Order: sequence, then structure tokens, then C-alpha cells
Amino acid sequence: MHRDEIPPGTLYLLILKALARSGELHGFEIARWIEQVSDEVLQVEEGSLYPALQRMLIKGWVKAKWGVTAGNRRARYYRLTPLGRKQLEVEVSEFNRVVAAITRAIQTA
Amino acid sequence: MGWLGEVGRWLAFFFRRGKFDADLEDEMRLHQELREQEQRERGASAEEAHFTAQRRFGNKLTLREESRDMWGWNWLETLLQDVRYGLRQLRRSPVFTTLAVMTLALGIGANTAIFTLVDAVMLKSLPVANPKQLYRLGDNNNCCEMTGTTQNGGSYVLYSYPLYKELRDHTPEFSELTAFTPFLTSLAVRRSGTSGSSQAFEGELVSGNYFTMFGVHASAGRVFTSAGDNPGMPPVAVLSYYAWQKYFGLDPSVIGSNFVIDRVSYTVVGITPPGFYGDTLRSNPPDFWLPLGTEALLNPRHNALNEPNVEWLYAIGRLKPGARAQSVQSHLTVELHQWLWHTGYARATPEERSDAALVQGYRREVARQHIHLTPAGGGVDTMRQDYAAGLRLLLIVAGLVLLIACANIANLLLARAAASRLNLAVRAALGAPVTRMIRSVLTESILLGVLGGLVGLLVAFAGTRTILLIAFRGARYVPISSTPSGIVLGFAFLLSMVTGIAFGIAPAWAASRTDASEVVRGAGRSLGEHSPLARRSFVVLQVAVSVILLVGAVLLTRSLRDLEGQRFGFESQGRLIVHVNPRLAGYKPEALDALDRQLQNRLSRIPGVLGASLSDYSPMEGGNWNQDVYIEGRKPAVSNQDLNSSLNRVSSEYFETIGTHVVEGRAINHADTPTSQHVAVVDQAFARKFFPHQNPIGQYFGLSPSDSGEYEIVGVVEDAKYQNARLAAYPTAFMPLLQTPAGDLDRDGSVYFGDIELRLAGTPQNFEPAVREILGEINPNLTVLGMMSLKEQVALNFNQDRLITRLSELFGLLALALACVGLYGVTSFSVARRTNEFGLRMALGAQKNDVLRLAMRQGLNLTFIGVAMGVAGALVLTQFLSSLLYGVKPADPVTFVAASLILMGVALLACYIPARRATKVDPMTALRCE
Repeated sequence: MHRDEIPPGTLYLLILKALARSGELHGFEIARWIEQVSDEVLQVEEGSLYPALQRMLIKGWVKAKWGVTAGNRRARYYRLTPLGRKQLEVEVSEFNRVVAAITRAIQTA
Repeated sequence: MGWLGEVGRWLAFFFRRGKFDADLEDEMRLHQELREQEQRERGASAEEAHFTAQRRFGNKLTLREESRDMWGWNWLETLLQDVRYGLRQLRRSPVFTTLAVMTLALGIGANTAIFTLVDAVMLKSLPVANPKQLYRLGDNNNCCEMTGTTQNGGSYVLYSYPLYKELRDHTPEFSELTAFTPFLTSLAVRRSGTSGSSQAFEGELVSGNYFTMFGVHASAGRVFTSAGDNPGMPPVAVLSYYAWQKYFGLDPSVIGSNFVIDRVSYTVVGITPPGFYGDTLRSNPPDFWLPLGTEALLNPRHNALNEPNVEWLYAIGRLKPGARAQSVQSHLTVELHQWLWHTGYARATPEERSDAALVQGYRREVARQHIHLTPAGGGVDTMRQDYAAGLRLLLIVAGLVLLIACANIANLLLARAAASRLNLAVRAALGAPVTRMIRSVLTESILLGVLGGLVGLLVAFAGTRTILLIAFRGARYVPISSTPSGIVLGFAFLLSMVTGIAFGIAPAWAASRTDASEVVRGAGRSLGEHSPLARRSFVVLQVAVSVILLVGAVLLTRSLRDLEGQRFGFESQGRLIVHVNPRLAGYKPEALDALDRQLQNRLSRIPGVLGASLSDYSPMEGGNWNQDVYIEGRKPAVSNQDLNSSLNRVSSEYFETIGTHVVEGRAINHADTPTSQHVAVVDQAFARKFFPHQNPIGQYFGLSPSDSGEYEIVGVVEDAKYQNARLAAYPTAFMPLLQTPAGDLDRDGSVYFGDIELRLAGTPQNFEPAVREILGEINPNLTVLGMMSLKEQVALNFNQDRLITRLSELFGLLALALACVGLYGVTSFSVARRTNEFGLRMALGAQKNDVLRLAMRQGLNLTFIGVAMGVAGALVLTQFLSSLLYGVKPADPVTFVAASLILMGVALLACYIPARRATKVDPMTALRCE
């Protein structure tokens, strides 16, 4: 099956969305969520996922807490902060604007 | 989050970075394993699953680096690397490093030492509670007593006790308002029940709420209560912690025990906290604080407590939170006006009250008076006013020296950078970013700065001690610590950083412009005659600033020499001055005649003593008695006519003993007794002022208009300076000690001598034990309040001048040395670069002298430019010195020529030594190199 890289700049959006939908997730769960909801079209590059999470921690969009997985493994769980929730709205509206603009551009005969 | 949060996060991260790495590692490992599991579930082989999971992660190390970078960790990593590299560089050239660190240590140390003094004198608050709330009633330091007049200029600063009470009780904005004497009193103190003679201590009279106002609690016992103002209370005293420690060995039994202070028995009720020195920063602060209510006991004749006309107290108050100084000030001024009007009116006679013009005039005079409320967190700022100009000058001078030091090190660094250009070029060629190279050069220079700062702190500590010794020569105790305070340490650190950056900028700039290809091509030799412009500018700057400092130092040195070496009108060699107070020993005026004779007799019989005399004041001791005199036969004084003269009472042999020559007539001698014709000897200034066209001998004057026939002038002595060594001698009249207007021996207290003068063959200090012994034999209560040679007494007047002069000399020499190092460096650098050229020239027949001239030309040209600029700068800047100079003009040509010559002479040497090396180049070696 063909898999696509996540378009640049949308990784934050997807992570924020994943956390908004599911509450608390660890890194692998975030990646899996994105792959599943996109019917395995979008593939999360681990090499960008973790730096992105770090950056989001610094920016205060997410908080992290250590917990235990179903398989009884230690894992770092991330959840949204109010600031992150606000950021999600910003990112969504920005994304919609860009997509609309691109759509208009490519539909122009 | 702000930068504070940023720093917090960074610090938290920094200290837990190990855990951070482990956490990230854990997190990623879990991810990888879950991915692996997923792959296997999809049917991949174990190996394949592992490989895929790993591949998807990529380089974990890079990931970690990236995350660390995000958190700011890499910044520190790089810094540590730079510091390690910098230290390695410094270790590699120990001579350079030592030189640079020493230079910086001197520069930073000098600045820090002076800043310690600035901090203590100008910035520090009194060691009391909330000093910011303290305000002083008045803005000047007029001292010490005014009688029944409104104060000059209209700005009130001295208060009578009743006026103080009025203001205290009617100004609710003050939580407390305290009053105290502006001056300290020498006290003769003996602990009750101990034998031996009294010791001299310093005392201050203060209102009962003094310590409460300052928020100062006793470190043992208690402080005064407001009842202390009440004359009926049993006398109590508070002892300073310093005196308790120094003179009573922290003996707890001191508290509650009795002390005889000036013949009054006081109970010491408590000790001040350590470090408390009262309301004014000064040398020899009070040892004893005594309540104002006991003034009448100490000083029955003064007894000013209830006198509304005697203004003799300063006042400081603590404003309540929320009170505005501005409005309190207008409130106080209104109170003052009412007070002055009412007391003035009460004093006036009925005729005066009906004199409209007089009343109008008084009303105008009262309206002119005002109270200026000034912040007093630092206390009464006498020392600040005395030292401000000098300290400012020293700060500037020390700053200039530091500037030279920076220029010097920048130069050394540039020279080194030039030598290590290959190194830099290789780093550049290998892809080191320019910012990184600049940063590593700057790190190295800041490192030098900080090292210099650390050593500089030692210099500063020693320097401060020395400065305190010079500035407060003769002081028993100065409440200024030479240990650097927090703010001083901060200052030193900041200075180190700033200097590090300052002298690092030029080399860093040079490093950023390293052209790898050029260096690697091998261009290192040059036929150009000059060092780079930056280096030449630094040398010119150094020379110029050195000239300025040298000119300043020479001017100040000559001024101090003239000041100290002038003809004062007395002889300071071989004279001993003993300060005593016979009143404190219990002598009544009637007993003085016998005491005076006994003292003169006994003291002059000490082997080696050539003469002994007594007087109210001795030259240059600081005390003075000033008053209008009335010449017999003159018309009543016009109101604004200046009749002021200094007055002094002296015993027989006085002029011989202090070495003042009699110009005309005779001196005061044994025949001048209380019952003989009252006579006076005047100085030439007095004669010029009052008898410009007459012979003063045989004329009469008096101290009030009604007894202008009191004193017959029998002699004229040469002018002698008693007070200000910078001014001409003040008109002075000398009268015999006991010849007071009839029947009024004790009117002004002047019959009591305060000083004994001895003319000696030998070192004055050696006579001190014998003098003490004889005084003790005559009366054990005749306490020696102070004893020093006249030479020392005169010298103490020049403490501040000496401090400024000595430090300027030191800084001038330092600047000179630094400039020479700079010149030496530039010359040897260019000689090294032009070795081949010189060899070639010599091969072609140039003589050694030609080569020497060539090699020295650059350095000498730079010197000439620097000297010219320095002379121009000094011409402008020394104008600011004029107030400090005595007997020498700011633009004194001799000084300018001398300073320039000194500098050029030393510069010549600094250039000659490296230039001589150029003449030793072997032409063949040079050619082969080519």
C-alpha cells in the first residue's frame, strides 16, 4: 500500500487533534491514531514525532506524565493544556484557509 | 512565560539532563518495540520487524541532540567547550596569560577598591531599619550653633530644643522625629570604682527617641526612652558595640554599671548593635550616646535645652508610610514661620513692636526661612560632601587606567591572533562557522576578564585598606569595612565581564575576517611598514590617556608639595601638641593661674623640652573662635562693615614655642598677668585689615562696642595659617589667657586653655610618656584628649589631598607602564614581521643605525601622535582639577613638558629594546628564508 508523508506543518495539528479526541496518549498511540484515522495514508515519521512533542512541551501546548500501558510498560502520556486547545483551533482554521486557497489555485482553469 | 520562566526551565533542565536523556530513550524504545510487535502481527519476520522499526526511527543520537538543542542544553555544551578551549589556549601561553591577568587585576582591583569607598561613602544606607523612610530637616551641614537669628540663606538645619519639640509634636506625618548634636564632644571617662586617670572618648547628645526613631534595638541591655529628654532623670548612657568590644572586652558587667563622664555619674544601660555608628558616617564615631536631658549636668554654663534662641541640634525623622515628603515639607515650613514669628515677637521690646519698618523687615525675614526635607537614608552626609569631588575624580582616573589595560590586552590578543592566523584559517577552512569563531575568541577574553577580576578582588581588598589608611590617617576607628560587600562584588564581576568583552571585540572582529585561502597560500610576510590600524590606534590611545594621567598626577603632586611645604607662619618640626580640657578636670577659673604656671614650669623642665606654652587653639587643629572686634576711637560700625577677626588666648612663650616670629613690638610674656594692663598681639593680616594706614602698636580694641579700650596692642607677629592652608592667613588677635574683661573670668570659657605646645630637641613621639606622667602627677583627672606632633596635626589637614595625589601618582605610573608594554609589543611585532626586509636591506648595504631608525620609526610616530592628543586632552580635562590645585595652574607649562618628556623618554626605551633585535638579523639567514 502506498503511504504518504505528513505534509509539512501539519504534524502539530494532527498531534493536537489526536490528543483532543482521545485525551491521554503516549507517543506510539499518537502515531497509530493518525495512521488509523487516515486509513494508513498518513505515516508519522518517528524522527519528527518526538522532537515535535518536545517542542510542544516547551510551548506549553501539552503536558506529559509518566504512566503504565495496558501491557504494563512504562510510558510517557501526553495531554492537551488549555493553551494547546486554543492552538488546535488556530491550526485548524489556518489549515482550512491554506487548503481552500490551494484548492482554488489548482481548480483555476 | 518571560525570560525568567525561560531561565527556570533551562536550569531545571540543566540539572536533570541525565534523567531527560534517559526518559527520551525509554519513550523511544517503547515506541520501537510496539512498532516491532505491530510489524510481527502483520506477518513480518522478527528480523524484518526489528529492522523496519529501527529504520523508521533513523538516527536516535541526532534525535536526542535535536531535543537537547530545543531545551537549550547545547548552548551550554558549546559554552563549556569554548571555555575548555579558552583555558587550553591560555595555558599554552603562560607569559601572556600572567601578564594579561596581572594587568587586569590591577585595573579591576583599583576600580573595585575605589568603588568600595564610593559604595560606603556615597551609596550605603545607615545600618538601621527601613532607611528609606528617614528624612532630614535641612539640606546643608552648617555647624555648630546659631544664636537667636534666622539661618543664613533661609534653609533651616539647626534647631533649638523647644523648636524641635514643637515640630515633633505637631507633625503627625513623622512616626518619630529625633534631635542630636551635629558635633561630637570629647569626653573624659572613667569607670566608677577603678583607679587611674580618665580616658578620652567621643560622645554625642541625642534626644530620648533617637534609637527608637532609627529602629535600632540594644544588642544588650536597653536603649533610651523618651524620658531621656527630661533633665530630672538619673543620667544614663548607651555604649557603642565597637567601644564595648575594643575597650571593655565585651564585659557584660559594663551594662548597669556607673561611669564618671566629665565628672557626672552615668549608668550605662545598654549597648548598640554591632555596626551601628550613629547618624553620620565619620571617623571616630561616638563611643557614648548621652540623653539631651543631661546637657545641663555636662555643660552647666551652656544649658541650652530650654533656650528657644540657641539653635544647636540637627533633626532626622521617620516618615509614616504613605506620607509625602513634599507636603510634610510645606507643613514644617508653615510651623517654622509661626514659631519664628511668635518667639521673635515675644522677645521684642514694646518699642520694637511698634516700629512698623522693623516689624515689616522681620516679617520678610521670617517668610524667607524654610525647611527643606531631604532623604537621610545615608544619615547626615558630611563625608559625602567632603569626598564627592575627590571620589569622582578617582573613579574617572581608575576608569582610564582600566581603559588602557583593556587596550593593552586587546593589543596583545591581536598580536597573538595574528600569530595564530593559520590555526584560525584551518578552522575556518574546515567549516567552523564565523559566529562560533567569534564566540570562542570572546569566551577567551571574558575568561581573562573573570580571572583578572578574581585576582583583582585581592588587589581591591589590599587597596581598600591602604586607601582607608591614607584617607583617614589619624583616625582611631573608621566604620567602613574593607571587605567587599555584595554590591561591590557585583560591580567587580560586571566590570570583569565588560572589560572582557571590551578588549575581546577587536580580536573577535579580526578572527571573523580571517580569509582562509589567503593564509593557507602562505601570505604571512609583508613589506608593509605598519601594524594593522586597530593596533596602532590602541597604542595611540594608550599613550594619549597616559599623558593625561601623568599630567594630572604631576599637577597634584606639585600642588600637594606646595601645600604641605609652604611657610605656614609657624614651625611644625620638633613640636608636640597635647589636647586637654582643664574644665573637665574640675578646675574653677580662679585656679587656672596657678595651674598654667605649674604646667609651664613642670613641662619645660623635662630634659629635651626647650619651651612650653598653653593656648585655646594651636595651628591647624580645626577649632576656631571668631567674632567681631571694635577698635577704640572708631565711629560706630556701619551695619555691613566687616569687623570679624579670629581670636586666640595664649600663655607666655607661645610665639617662641610654635615658632611664629614677632615682626614689631613684643610677644606676650610672664609680666602679662590678670591684673596688669590687658594687652594683645595681632598678626599682620589683622594690622592690614584694621590699621591699613596706621601703626597698630599702642592702639586699643575690645570684644564689644562698650569696652573697645580693653586690649592694648603691644606687638605684631607674622601671618600664620590656623585653619585653611589654601587661603591666606585670617586676621587674628592673641590675648593672654587670663586677661578677660573685668570681673567676668568665665564669660566665654576662653580662659580655659585647650592645647599645650612643647618645643623639643628630638622626636616628639618620644616625649609622650613623660608628658603623660607629669600631667598625671599634677592631676589624674587632667585627661589627655589627644597628643600628636604639630607636623602630624598639620598633615591631617591634607588627608584627602594626599589620597587623591598618591592614587593619581600610582595610576599615572601604571598607565605609563601599560603604555610602554603596548609600544614594546607593537614594535617587536613589526620587527618580527619585517625580519626578512631588514636582512635584505642590510645585505644591500644598510647600516645598523638605518635599520634601527626604520624599526623604531613606527613606535615613535605613534608616541608623538599620542602625546599630542594627550596634551590636547589634558589641557581641557585639567581645568576640572583647578579646585583641587594649590599654587599651580591647571595648564602649567612645566608640568606638561615634564609629563611629555617622561613619556617620550620611556617610550624611546620601549621601542629601542625590540628594535635593536632588528639590527642583529643575519642577512644570509634572512635571504635564505626568502
